[in-house]
Amino acid sequence: MKRVLIICGTGIATSTVVAIKVKDHLAAVGIPAVVEQGKVMDLVRGEVNADLIVATTDVPESVTIPVVRALALITGFGEESVFEEIDSHLA
Amino acid sequence: MQGILEAISSYITTLGPSVVLPILITLFGLALGLKFGKAFRAGLTIGIGFIGINLVLGLLGGQVGPAAQAMATNFGVQLSIVDVGWPSSAAIAFGSTIGAIIIPLGLLVNVILLLTGLTRTLDIDLWNYWHSALIGALVGALTGNFWLGILSAAVHLAVILSMGDITAPVVQKYFKLPDISFPHGTSAPYGLLAFPLNWLFDRIPGLKNWDATPEGIQKRFGIFGESLMMGLILGLVIGVMAFPFQNPAEDIAKILILAVSLAAAMFLLPRMVGILMEGLMPISEAARVFVQKKFPGRKFYIGLDSAVAVGQPSVIATSLIMVPITLVLAIVLAPLGNQVLPLVDLATLPFIVAVMVAVFRGNIVRSIIGGSILVALGLFIATWIAPAFTKIAVDSGFQLGEGQTVISSLVDGANPMTGLFMAAGNGGTIGVIVASVVCLAFVVTTKIMLDRRDKKQEAAAETATQA
Repeated sequence: MKRVLIICGTGIATSTVVAIKVKDHLAAVGIPAVVEQGKVMDLVRGEVNADLIVATTDVPESVTIPVVRALALITGFGEESVFEEIDSHLA
Repeated sequence: MQGILEAISSYITTLGPSVVLPILITLFGLALGLKFGKAFRAGLTIGIGFIGINLVLGLLGGQVGPAAQAMATNFGVQLSIVDVGWPSSAAIAFGSTIGAIIIPLGLLVNVILLLTGLTRTLDIDLWNYWHSALIGALVGALTGNFWLGILSAAVHLAVILSMGDITAPVVQKYFKLPDISFPHGTSAPYGLLAFPLNWLFDRIPGLKNWDATPEGIQKRFGIFGESLMMGLILGLVIGVMAFPFQNPAEDIAKILILAVSLAAAMFLLPRMVGILMEGLMPISEAARVFVQKKFPGRKFYIGLDSAVAVGQPSVIATSLIMVPITLVLAIVLAPLGNQVLPLVDLATLPFIVAVMVAVFRGNIVRSIIGGSILVALGLFIATWIAPAFTKIAVDSGFQLGEGQTVISSLVDGANPMTGLFMAAGNGGTIGVIVASVVCLAFVVTTKIMLDRRDKKQEAAAETATQA
């Protein structure tokens, strides 16, 4: 099972909005994945246990796994293209 | 009649936010067109979040409170006010009488300001209305007048929206976030104060061109970003100072229990607020869609939480260095009257500096100096508001451990806007009205200045194309 890590400044505020939308979307299209939340400060030391990061903010350059920027899931403009990008990484 | 109202009010207080908010949120969700099941689940989730936060606050108050007292007696370091952080502040704010109605009130204020052109921001981040609710609750508690609390919350929100408008061009350019603004109670006031500081730094020789790179700082100070490690280390330090091995076996046990408890509290508090947030999300989504539908085709800034900017390397680097600086400031300023022991909000420093970093164009040295000045002043504000803050926490139904440890927070306790409204509340009705008039004058002045600036830019652009 793939692991998706949702990242924002607190690991709570905007990432909860994104996490719920990503979970609902993955359930709807039938892609099995574990969705977890975290804060960007946790990535600074470079130990990440995930296959994909979906972030509402910048992530440190030391992160080597794929990152999808998901600001659109908060503003509500352009959600589809974010979901498509997530699907392409998890397929 | 008066008697009946008081009886109802006291009964609602007995029920507490974990019961009252699920009911209110369910009704509000239904009003926004959510299905009953979804609205009820959202409400109940919020109630559960409250109970979770209360449990962790009990742990924090019960463990850290007495240790901080003991540390004060042993070493004369008077840092006995426990910083319970933004997670607790948000819960206290939403659990207050103002918090119960802040979402419809905030939406109303934002819509009126948009219609009158007094703001350019549609704040879709309803979660952060709690900053305004906290201001309202503080003023309400100080004046004993619910309506003055409501007025203060509304005025605070208007000012924060204006601050979001002012800082928007800088935020958009620096963080590369087109059409976004940060009408965020934590970061916006500090961002505004960064403008005069930046002007000053430009005129100080030696400081003008001094900068540092974020990468090296991230590597060296990374540990300060990990809440659970920070909690453990702080717990050990406080423990050693509180229980200085008079009875070694017993004191070592106390120190270790304190260290793990503090790590637990700093790790768990944000998780618990996450539950609150999860419950609020269907409501705020429904409200966002509802309001965005009302303004089709109109162009405005989308107001977000500055959480979306926190990952920027200079913000991370500045915040990491600000952790030890804040602790040192708290100790150094203790003889001058600071009593706040920074704890949970050490993890929230990125939000204090986020907009400042953009104003300083990512210059880390300036951000650290500016941040230190404002946090140093903020510690005194946080100390000042602690008794009132503790009172609204207890009124909102939170248990703060034996003898009710005195609490405060850095994020909102130390905020200049909190200081302003604390002064207003102490001035009674007249104080609140004066503060409100000053704030509204600020909102109107901001609109006029921004309009003028835009006209100038348009004119300049036109001359440029003609030439």
